[in-house]
Amino acid sequence: MESSRPLRIVRDVTAVTVVGIFMFPIFWWALTSIKPISAIFDKDRVNFFDFTPTFINYGVTLFGQSRSQLAIDQGIGMGVGGAEAYDSRQSIMESVIVSLGATAITMAVAVFAAYAISRMMFRGRSHYLNWVLGQRFMPPIAILVPLVTIYKTAGLRDTDNLYMGYFGLMMIYALMNLPIAVLLMKSFLDDVPKDVDEAAMIDGATRFQTFRKVVLPMVKGGIAASAVLVFIFSWTEFLLSLFLTTEIRTVPVKIQTFVTSTGNEWGFIAALGTAAIIPSFVFILLVQKNLVRGLTLGSLKE
Amino acid sequence: MSSVTIKNVRKSYGNLEVVHGIDLTIEDGSFVVLLGPSGCGKSTLLRMIAGLESVTGGDIEIQGRRVNNVHPKDRNIAMVFQNYALYAHMKVKDNMSFSLQLAKRPKAEIDEKVKWAAKILNLKPYLDRYPRELSGGQRQRVAMGRAIVRNPAVFLFDEPLSNLDAKLRVQMRTEIKELHERLKTTTVYVTHDQIEAMTMADKIVILRDGYIEQEGSPLEVYDKPANLFVAEFIGSPSMNLLKGEVTSNGVLLGEGTTLPLPPVHKAALGQKVVYGIRPEHFTFGSGAPAKVVVVEPTGPEMHIYADMGGQEICAITQDRVSLTRDEIFHLQPRLDKVHLFDATSGKALA
Repeated sequence: MESSRPLRIVRDVTAVTVVGIFMFPIFWWALTSIKPISAIFDKDRVNFFDFTPTFINYGVTLFGQSRSQLAIDQGIGMGVGGAEAYDSRQSIMESVIVSLGATAITMAVAVFAAYAISRMMFRGRSHYLNWVLGQRFMPPIAILVPLVTIYKTAGLRDTDNLYMGYFGLMMIYALMNLPIAVLLMKSFLDDVPKDVDEAAMIDGATRFQTFRKVVLPMVKGGIAASAVLVFIFSWTEFLLSLFLTTEIRTVPVKIQTFVTSTGNEWGFIAALGTAAIIPSFVFILLVQKNLVRGLTLGSLKE
Repeated sequence: MSSVTIKNVRKSYGNLEVVHGIDLTIEDGSFVVLLGPSGCGKSTLLRMIAGLESVTGGDIEIQGRRVNNVHPKDRNIAMVFQNYALYAHMKVKDNMSFSLQLAKRPKAEIDEKVKWAAKILNLKPYLDRYPRELSGGQRQRVAMGRAIVRNPAVFLFDEPLSNLDAKLRVQMRTEIKELHERLKTTTVYVTHDQIEAMTMADKIVILRDGYIEQEGSPLEVYDKPANLFVAEFIGSPSMNLLKGEVTSNGVLLGEGTTLPLPPVHKAALGQKVVYGIRPEHFTFGSGAPAKVVVVEPTGPEMHIYADMGGQEICAITQDRVSLTRDEIFHLQPRLDKVHLFDATSGKALA
């Protein structure tokens, strides 16, 4: 649709402003992560670029370097101690394991469930949306205390068994993400015409062959997009991870430990926070096209 | 031997019966078109033959074998869908050979059959392309290729041309007809387009609301429609259907206009009838008066829409006539081409 020039300008300015507002915190976070402490705590002004960039914060959180040593090496003064507590490599590893595991479990269940809901008739099929919404009504904190008890009883606490701890966290993330993943996958599967299934059946494929050889490859993009979303939700989850695990410290929980009794390590928080955005960012770039289509939940037909 | 026999087949969805006891014999090697408006049950009937819909009552036999409970893949049929239903992630050759691969046929045989099909359908240059890289017509040919490599007993086509543009549709119509001439495989073809039906079929089966209204060769249903519905449905522009009453002089349309009765008919004096005459079966110059409403020159012929006895009619002539709006001219129906239908039952009287 052609629009007039003034209208186009207004539209573009609005778009840039909105994106700017949303992007500013991320920009500020990234900027903070390369600031020395003196620039982070500037009481007299808002300091945008008047500082010498430093990668101390990344060095300490991502590469396990000693903060005091780095500070001395680079000649920008002494920091306080506690270097090892800020080494987040273990946390990143744990986050990766939990998030990938949760994504794998979620997607394995979601594609089958979504196929059934998209293609088969059964009682209660139409209530699925209510179930999804129902899951979203309840904030996780409402079930947190009983959940911790259940996990303790079921032996899913990492303090009892580290592997079960991982498994427990993956399971709760999978549970949390399943409704949205199924809903997304359903919308992608609904986009594959039923005729294709029928053509495959006439061609001699069994139901499972139809699913595996015909339908599934046609929704590869959708699977990737849904998986990325599930991964991001798992990657950024804080509350459940905080309560259900002790030994395992996923990145969001780790960041929270940088708020200490002796002060908040803003530089480290910003560095680890910025680094944590990167995987989500890359994944989203990769599946952007499918993600937008998926999030409209099939309402846009080509 | 008949290829497909349909005996008193019914289909219900819950309490709603959509196909009401259809009997139909499809001869071996014939091209049968199921024709009707949307919702007439033609696609449902085809899908029951394919095994994609269960049969509520009656029997379907393919090559003399009752197939009501046979899986689609074991019915020895192949189907072409309206939206092609190609496997988007497979190359053309894999689309065509999918059924053979599933049947675990030797690779040499698969290659040979795909080559053969590609040659028939002019798809050779496209075998290594993906469906998205093909035009609509080419995609439809791939769908046909997928059907013919299996060498089935019956081809089923479900409105295969309705997604194509007008020009391509005409071209594909010819191609499908040619393919049938060549392979002589029994074909059941569903469409709502009466031109497709007329041009391609050996036998047209006209359905409405789950009943067969008439079956016969294209010219039979065109020349001898069994009822008002068929008369109206077949032919473009459609037959003029004028309401009137039988008098001793002919059929009185109102406003004093009377049209002559055909020599043989079953109508009684005073009976309310519908007088049917196709636009091309008028003689210009004498007969009943009509007032011009619109003149449409199509090139080969002129379509004249006019008012006759208070009812709208269309007349076609290949002569170049110069008529203007509101001009009165005279039309004489060719008596051997006149149809009479009972006004209440719609059944043909002559």
